[in-house]
Amino acid sequence: MELSIDRLTKHYGRKIAVDCVSASFKPGLYGLLGANGAGKTTLMRMLCAVLEATSGEVFLDKKEVTAMGADYRDLLGYLPQEFGYYPGYTAMEFLMYIAALKGIPRDIAKKRVRELLEVVGLESVSGKKLRTFSGGMKQRVGIAQALLNQPKILILDEPTAGLDPRERVRFRNLLADYAGERIVLLSTHIVSDIEAIADEVLMMKKGKFVLQGTIAELTRKAAGKVWELAVSPGEARRWQDEAIVANLRHEGEQVVLRILSDTLPDGRAVPCEASLEDLYYFGSEEGVR
Amino acid sequence: MMELFLLEHRKLWRRGTTKVCVLVCFVYAVLFGSVLSFQWFSFGSSNHTDSFGNNFDGYRMIRDCQEYSRAFGGELTDEYFQQMVRDYQEAEAAHMDRRLQLTDRQGIQGWLEALYPELKDSSSLKLMVSYVDPDELTGFYERRQQAVGTFLEISGQEGREKEYLMQMEQSVQKPFRYEWTEGWSAVLSTIAGETGTVMAVFLAIVLSPIFAGERRDGIKVLMLTTKNGWRRTAFAKILTGLCFALEFFAVIAAGQVASQLFFLGTAGWDMPIQNIKLIAVAPMNMLQAEIYEYTFTLLGMIGYAGIVMLLSAAAGSSVLAMVSSLAAVLVPTALENYLPFWLQKAKDLIPLVGTGTDIFRTNTLCIFGRYIWSPYLLITIPVLIGMLCVPFAVKGWARRMRV
Repeated sequence: MELSIDRLTKHYGRKIAVDCVSASFKPGLYGLLGANGAGKTTLMRMLCAVLEATSGEVFLDKKEVTAMGADYRDLLGYLPQEFGYYPGYTAMEFLMYIAALKGIPRDIAKKRVRELLEVVGLESVSGKKLRTFSGGMKQRVGIAQALLNQPKILILDEPTAGLDPRERVRFRNLLADYAGERIVLLSTHIVSDIEAIADEVLMMKKGKFVLQGTIAELTRKAAGKVWELAVSPGEARRWQDEAIVANLRHEGEQVVLRILSDTLPDGRAVPCEASLEDLYYFGSEEGVR
Repeated sequence: MMELFLLEHRKLWRRGTTKVCVLVCFVYAVLFGSVLSFQWFSFGSSNHTDSFGNNFDGYRMIRDCQEYSRAFGGELTDEYFQQMVRDYQEAEAAHMDRRLQLTDRQGIQGWLEALYPELKDSSSLKLMVSYVDPDELTGFYERRQQAVGTFLEISGQEGREKEYLMQMEQSVQKPFRYEWTEGWSAVLSTIAGETGTVMAVFLAIVLSPIFAGERRDGIKVLMLTTKNGWRRTAFAKILTGLCFALEFFAVIAAGQVASQLFFLGTAGWDMPIQNIKLIAVAPMNMLQAEIYEYTFTLLGMIGYAGIVMLLSAAAGSSVLAMVSSLAAVLVPTALENYLPFWLQKAKDLIPLVGTGTDIFRTNTLCIFGRYIWSPYLLITIPVLIGMLCVPFAVKGWARRMRV
């Protein structure tokens, strides 16, 4: 199974949301990183065939997905960024409704819904109305609905938004288990969400992929470009204006800056190991201001 | 698909608005419009000290009226008509208030005014039934035939149109079978005849969010990515809307009919409708007329449901869909007096804008040079309009579902 995008472009009037991107996804877990407004949601919606591309195409095993229609949607699980729900429904009822939309027979759906409610840790509140749920609980219902049809292609737009750290870990483990023979693409601007589990990372900026590869490949690329520099607080402010600062921490009277730079930024700077988070700032060329 | 329909149907019924609308309409149309009307407001015995002018004894009064009318029951001949008038005058002279209340006063008075206008004493404030000489009340059916002809001429219905209506009139069986008419008059002119307009308001409130509400709930992206997609969901929703119209009708109509059976029973079902409106030309009995009126309301509701769903699919919000749905019924009615005559007749073809009581009228519509009695079209065109709206509703929904 191969999901590929070929010169996919989306314009909103004069604004270019996605700019002629191409990529290929085979079974595995892909992390789509990018700042807000980078074009992640637009790209995901086009991948789901919800949004019509201005130009370019999406193929699944060389078949154009919009032409596949219901056959493609049958393989798809999608969690939109703004997940809609019926406040008067219980979690169980809502998932049964989505199961019907997905064409899952009732008896199978019932079993599947129960399983998923357990997986996302909502089995004890399955009979409560969604309006009473916290943001994180609603998000977990959203994750469950995306998994209902055991999709071969799972697309999750900011799935960890609203989840507490424990839920995040549980969710990451769930996805890592789930990926296997499936294509899982999740977008986020929280690097730690994908650092531990993504097979490949795509970094978007202004509608384009600026970095693409496995975490090891990408961090290798960044080797020798990450530095730590201990400076005074006054100097730290100047560095933040002049360089890409991925992180800063206070150590006694001094501030330790994590600077991204192709060359040695200062004689006092020492090289250190690159992380995915460093790459994120490197790709976006925006440090901590 | 069936599963989706059942869930959509459940979704509609579980909404608070749906339950409240059905309940309020039931209370208005069945409890107040039928049960309390029979037992209190309309058929309770007179009581001038009560704010409604009636006692809470409609059931007993109706039974007594029915029993009393059986003294004149059977065929409405000149002799029986004279006897009814005579009986009324005797009761009045003897100040037998209770007996007066049992007479079919309104019906008799209506017949006198329509058929014997020359006997009216314009200087008297009394009802004609109080003073006309019963012996002068002869030639009931000849006079009626003449009154129908005169009415058609006054209404400008001549030539082929008059011929068509008079031909219909020939099929009315004479002499009329007669029993107490006031109960059936209430059923056919108010209870069954006018409920549609009230139900339209509630139908608009319930069905307006059927498509438009999905945008409010932000669920459309989810729908678009599921196997059944927007298309099957649209069909499930349309089926739900039509099904709701049917169920809503059934709840109200069942309540009204049950109440009617309890209070009126079935007595008089085979009387001609001319007993209620003398110059009607339709060869129908009371039961047929009631079936027509309920069928008119049911088909009108299905047609109107189609319109509401079209507006729901096309409008940007549930409120806009509701306002425009209500406007589709109320604006043509409000503008009626400002419209040319042909347009006035045409507007009655909009679902639930016309009324089932057209069976008592001599309205016709001229289609390709052929005259057709308006009820035939009033019962078919609204439902066709509604069905015609369905593909456009799906199209509108498809357009709105674009991201």
